[in-house]
Amino acid sequence: MSKSLEVLLLDDEPIVGRRLKPALDKIGCHVEIFENPIEAVARIDEKEFDIVVTDIRMEKMNGMQVFEHVKKKWPRTKVIIITGYAKMELAREAMEKGIFDFIAKPFRPDDLRQIIARAAQALGTPIDLTLIKD
Amino acid sequence: MSIIIISSDSKKIEEDIAEKVAAVMDYNRLGPKLLTDVAANYQIDPVKLREALETTPSVFKNMPSKNWRHYLSCIEAEVFDRLLKDNIVCWGLPAHLFVTGISHVMKVRLLASGQRIGKIAEQKGITVDRAEKLIADELRQRKKWSLAAYNLDETDPSQYDLVINLDQIDPTEAAITITNAIEYRKFQPMTYSIKCLSNLALAARVNARLLESMVNIKVQARDNSVVVVTKASNRQKRKKIAAIKELAGDIEGVSYVEVHVKKNILEDAAENPY
Repeated sequence: MSKSLEVLLLDDEPIVGRRLKPALDKIGCHVEIFENPIEAVARIDEKEFDIVVTDIRMEKMNGMQVFEHVKKKWPRTKVIIITGYAKMELAREAMEKGIFDFIAKPFRPDDLRQIIARAAQALGTPIDLTLIKD
Repeated sequence: MSIIIISSDSKKIEEDIAEKVAAVMDYNRLGPKLLTDVAANYQIDPVKLREALETTPSVFKNMPSKNWRHYLSCIEAEVFDRLLKDNIVCWGLPAHLFVTGISHVMKVRLLASGQRIGKIAEQKGITVDRAEKLIADELRQRKKWSLAAYNLDETDPSQYDLVINLDQIDPTEAAITITNAIEYRKFQPMTYSIKCLSNLALAARVNARLLESMVNIKVQARDNSVVVVTKASNRQKRKKIAAIKELAGDIEGVSYVEVHVKKNILEDAAENPY
């Protein structure tokens, strides 16, 4: 792979970022972790990420608002929603608005890796999951 | 990559529209012919399966509740197994009642009472008033059946994503409306909805296996883990837990089984009358 995939990971539970970052590092992603959506949005204003992974329920700003912000600023960026409050209505709303994928917590790190790989493929920068670095 | 489930108060209309939609979308068809496979796979008389879809349990009709639940569970398991393959138009089965909470499944209800009244009156040589009454009775029966089987009223339009009145909309137009609606992004599969569907499919397989020999079974699945809720008397509790773990553990895709037992007060009272 010529260029690493730039990923912003936003979840107000610190453990989520701590667990997922190493899993995404292994597939060659460069991951920036945020727990505060305001800080994440400020970073998104500065830098075009390939992929934004965000929780839905957060104080100050929810995941859909983060998505709307990303969509306006960087239309190419793929947004993946992760949530512990998944419901069909929310999933449909998110899909309708244009998110790339939606996954319910808890999930295995490999589930997210699979989604990231599909997003990378859609971006034209495929990654090979069989080459996971130990 | 989605699933369309079509239901109606008329089997003929259901099938006609489903065939039109499947042809336009080049989707696979999942209709009442599935019952032949269910009968073969679960070694059940196909007549009994059809009867289970029409009637509520009754000792007079030789359809005890235990068998009725088991027959329905086998149909559910087989339907879920097919729905996992995606790009499907399903009709003539009660899938609209048990496939719930899956965002890439679009449920369509076709209303056609008006045109059916005229046809029935003509075919049976009866008055329009009498034909109206026949259709009203049919709908009442379907409502009763759906509430008994799945605690949902299938005649309630709010259960569906799209309701089309064929007394006002031409069938070809209805098929076009359905094929356009399924293109909405909200009906596209996502990791969450695919996972929900495979969890329901696994739960249905376990449910069908357990209901073969047991009653009072509720199953939920998540990934490869299964939670079974049942009822048993204090005396039967350990034996029932062991039996459930053995039967459910044998199902492909199950790696963990948890059993929750609620007290069966009636059995307890029968075993300890004093």
